[in-house]
Amino acid sequence: MDQTEYFNNMLVRLEELLYHELSGCAAWKVELVGIDFIQSKKIEGNSEDEIIKHCIQEIMANKLVTSMTYSIGGKGILLNLNMKGCIHLPKETRLKKDGVTPFICPIANMILDQLIEKLNYETTYLAKLDINEKTGECNVKCAIYETPEKIGLVSDWSKEG
Amino acid sequence: MNLEVPSMGDILDVITSRKSIRRYKPDPIPDEILDKILEAARWAPTGENYQPWRLIVIKNPETKKKIGDLAKLGSGSRMTAWYCLGEMQRRFEEIQDPVKRAEVLKFMYSGEVSEFAKQAPVIIAVIGNLMEGSVDVPYDLSACIENILLEAHSLGLGACWVHGPVASTRDAAKFKKILKIPTGMGEYKVIAYIALGWPAEARKHPRPKKLLEEIVYWEEFGRKERS
Repeated sequence: MDQTEYFNNMLVRLEELLYHELSGCAAWKVELVGIDFIQSKKIEGNSEDEIIKHCIQEIMANKLVTSMTYSIGGKGILLNLNMKGCIHLPKETRLKKDGVTPFICPIANMILDQLIEKLNYETTYLAKLDINEKTGECNVKCAIYETPEKIGLVSDWSKEG
Repeated sequence: MNLEVPSMGDILDVITSRKSIRRYKPDPIPDEILDKILEAARWAPTGENYQPWRLIVIKNPETKKKIGDLAKLGSGSRMTAWYCLGEMQRRFEEIQDPVKRAEVLKFMYSGEVSEFAKQAPVIIAVIGNLMEGSVDVPYDLSACIENILLEAHSLGLGACWVHGPVASTRDAAKFKKILKIPTGMGEYKVIAYIALGWPAEARKHPRPKKLLEEIVYWEEFGRKERS
């Protein structure tokens, strides 16, 4: 049995259910999905870069993605994650094919969780999850707010790489 | 068979004249009026009569400030991102005046749009008991909230159903902490709160609603001919 397929198929059904129960705001409520894995690791760091790099190391070492890069922009509040070969891509592909825009990214949730847990970030928000099922790549745009004062620091994210 | 139905007033005028009110006069709400609103909540429809709702009435300014700050944070964190993605601009493109549009957008993405709980004389938090075998908690709570809104409106008050500040899981946990609601996974669901007060703005609904022709089908999906 392909265990990854088994679990991804279960996630598809749960994501479908959540979407029907809550529609758009389902995406706001799933921020804890995936965090148990990263919380079981000893992620350390004193800065945004250190925490994110350490998380990516763990994520890749456990083969949850084959490659992953990140950048920070948008006046410091945009965390742009690029992944390839994510273990959850089949889940997202199936949802997209069935007409539901996928909204749960356990991998991004892990990193956002550690920014809150380890650096006391005020809040975070997974703003956009784009998948390319043909190339096997995903782009996730997250808002990261170190302090409440960072809220409202707007810019045009389409101009960011 | 006696099919006599007791005579009742039609409440359509109450329903159609209600709108969400986010600006309030500082005047307090008398207890007898508040009690009527809570009584209306108690009579909402509920699956198998479980009545899972629990209502926390908040008047303490310090608590209301904490809730208002949380609301600002929740809405602002999402709307800042939506603005950066261009989504907010599309939502408000019908505002022609660019200065006015920019003001409205800033009001939204700063989160100030959701801060109004601080000024409301009363907030009622609506939470659901998940431990008594209830089967329809979110739906029951939503019906309870609607009863509160309609009763408040019928008594001359203004009210607003506010979900955003408790919409994310982490914010819901913060909300529970502010109000000392038990945080066990299987204990209570926080669905929303209602800000209540004497209105400092018009209560008549000015926003257009879809026509019945657009939203009603007869006998089967898509069929527009009345049966």
